[in-house]
Amino acid sequence: MIINFKGAETYLGTGGKSLDINKRTLCFLHGSGQNHLSFIQQARFFAYKGYSVIVPDMPAHGFSDGNPCKSIKENAEWINDLLVKLNLKDVVIIGHSQGCLVALELNRILKNSLKALIFVAGSNEIPVNQFLLDLSKENPQKASQMMVTWGHGIDGDMSINKWPGHSHYGEGNNIMCMNKPTALKYDLHSCNDYSNGIDAAKNIKVPALAVLAKNDQMTPLKSGLKFVELIKNCETHILDCGHFLPSERPMELNSIINSFLSKLK
Amino acid sequence: MSENYKFDTLSLHAGHIPDKETGSRAVPIYQTTSYVFNSTEEAASLYNMEVGGHLYTRISNPTVAALEQRLAALEGGASALACSSGMAAMHLVVSAICSSGDHIVASSKMYGANINLLQHTMPRFGVNTDFVNPNDPEAIKSAIKPNTKLVFGEVIGNPGLDIMDVPEIAKICNSKNIPLVLDATFNTPYLMQPFKHGANIIVHSLTKWLGGHGIAIGGAIVNGGNFDWGDKDKFPTISGPHFALGGISFWEEFGPSALIAKIRAEGMYNFGPSLSPTNAFHLMQGIETLPLRMKKHIENTHTILDFLVNHEMVEWVKHPDLDTHPDHEVAKRILPKGSGSIVAFGIKGGREAGKAFIESVKLASHLANVGDAKTLLIHPGSTTHSHLSSEAMKEGGLTDDMIRLSVGLEDINDITKDFERGFKAVKKLNK
Ligand SMILES: Cc1ncc(COP(=O)(O)O)c(C=O)c1O
Repeated sequence: MIINFKGAETYLGTGGKSLDINKRTLCFLHGSGQNHLSFIQQARFFAYKGYSVIVPDMPAHGFSDGNPCKSIKENAEWINDLLVKLNLKDVVIIGHSQGCLVALELNRILKNSLKALIFVAGSNEIPVNQFLLDLSKENPQKASQMMVTWGHGIDGDMSINKWPGHSHYGEGNNIMCMNKPTALKYDLHSCNDYSNGIDAAKNIKVPALAVLAKNDQMTPLKSGLKFVELIKNCETHILDCGHFLPSERPMELNSIINSFLSKLK
Repeated sequence: MSENYKFDTLSLHAGHIPDKETGSRAVPIYQTTSYVFNSTEEAASLYNMEVGGHLYTRISNPTVAALEQRLAALEGGASALACSSGMAAMHLVVSAICSSGDHIVASSKMYGANINLLQHTMPRFGVNTDFVNPNDPEAIKSAIKPNTKLVFGEVIGNPGLDIMDVPEIAKICNSKNIPLVLDATFNTPYLMQPFKHGANIIVHSLTKWLGGHGIAIGGAIVNGGNFDWGDKDKFPTISGPHFALGGISFWEEFGPSALIAKIRAEGMYNFGPSLSPTNAFHLMQGIETLPLRMKKHIENTHTILDFLVNHEMVEWVKHPDLDTHPDHEVAKRILPKGSGSIVAFGIKGGREAGKAFIESVKLASHLANVGDAKTLLIHPGSTTHSHLSSEAMKEGGLTDDMIRLSVGLEDINDITKDFERGFKAVKKLNK
């Protein structure tokens, strides 16, 4: 659905069902240069399981207008304001990549409404190399292409896909091309500049789940494993794929998330 | 680290890795109509398009999917869908995008069935087409109306071998927010990848060079994922609410793969032109050697062009790689590896000479197909168009002395020897 938020047209994927604020809401936060389409196979799945689902296109991403947020903190404040505007009081945040950093910051801001945190291919820090930072400014399309190829495991190279007929590379590139050209550079700088991760992770009081990828080139497994050590009682799973876990291993990811959610109060 | 495999490697591998259970190196033929659900929940999630997977072979099948994913990789597209024939692919695209009252701009020089579908069949359903010269981008631009929903043509036209200036035409379509749909059967992704030149949707007859062995009919649609379907008034079938699945908007839910999702949910469900898994396997075997075959097709074509151009019995030769072809410059620019292996030539002596030639050659097969590994010939004047007068044929851009040749992979000296036999018979006739 499209809403007017902070003076800009803002798109929220709802998994093909209407939003019911009285239900538990799963709020999916996309990664750098992505949009709601990185959760194609999660949004509908959980909406049809009876949850309320929102997958916001962050400003200047996907179908949303507005100016890109310029830091992880700004992203988190934007999401917080959105949840307040929508009057959502029972929320599980599910971040992918950069979305995990935003989730960490939201953990500081959201008070009673936050019920759990789910980190997909996450860490407490996402340093970005200077080459990619520069390229995202000079040639965002090329930078996107590189991220799409780095980001996928062997299934990307081999055009293997659980969704019959789909190509991770072709689809991934075009998803990133839907964003405003400046979106990627602010995302990557936001990730690179973020330094609150350790404190934020130690501060998590709600139930937490982390699903990491064995062949992750963007947020390496080693970094993810250090991250989950910082969180008290973080349920952790490792799947055999690349960084784009939601499209590479949709069924496994959905089933892990689903059983975690079913244990929540 | 990603390997970023190149074209030749993808031709062999894309879409399949050996499965863990059996280790089968070749893509298995999943000769099944349906798939056991692990739970009612799983069944529902497939029906609701919550996640990808197979539920019934009319909609998708693992062997067919391997072919689709190979094609998506070779074309650099977001997704692909394979179906029962090239014509089925064409009809699926038109019927997914257009509704009664809509308009199409199409090339006037195309394969007969492509023309017939748009000229005679679709108007019965309220979809009308204006045909324009494919090598005149300005004419295409002026033919676009407010209700135009797609521009269609063949990269290399059959049988006239006109070449579309794809980058120029793509610019026009892009500026008018209309998808450019191209039949890329004659070029295959080996000679040219239309998405790199700005096209949005590709249809293939896999029957021809992609399959390459004249053993299976098949077609495919490859979706570039590079078109914005967001205008709900203009493209209601893609971005407006669907009649099922809770009024899903394919554009919102599937973005770059919206068109393929729409075609699976409507065209494959309601018309059902599915490709058999066994044919998908045969076609994929062909694709494994596409780069090798295309190289040899082009090499042989260039040798035969030399032979024909210099032959005393040949009146004229038409191929875009010859500098006498009106589209030669465009061909050099967009098809630098060569512009395919179809050659048209005229035999001195008209219709009777053509007939005598065809009846005397032994190695080249006289039949109605193109793109086989074997050399094929047809003389429209004594077969497909024999009911037409010379004048009527001319109006359709054909002449009665014309032979259409699909150059195969034989030792080219055996082919030229075979042709000499044909020319000898014509000489006898002319005496
Ligand atoms: C350019 C072109 N497109 C489409 C087709 C139709 O293909 P099929 O026979 O697979 O339906 C043909 C067949 O000759 C063709 O030449």
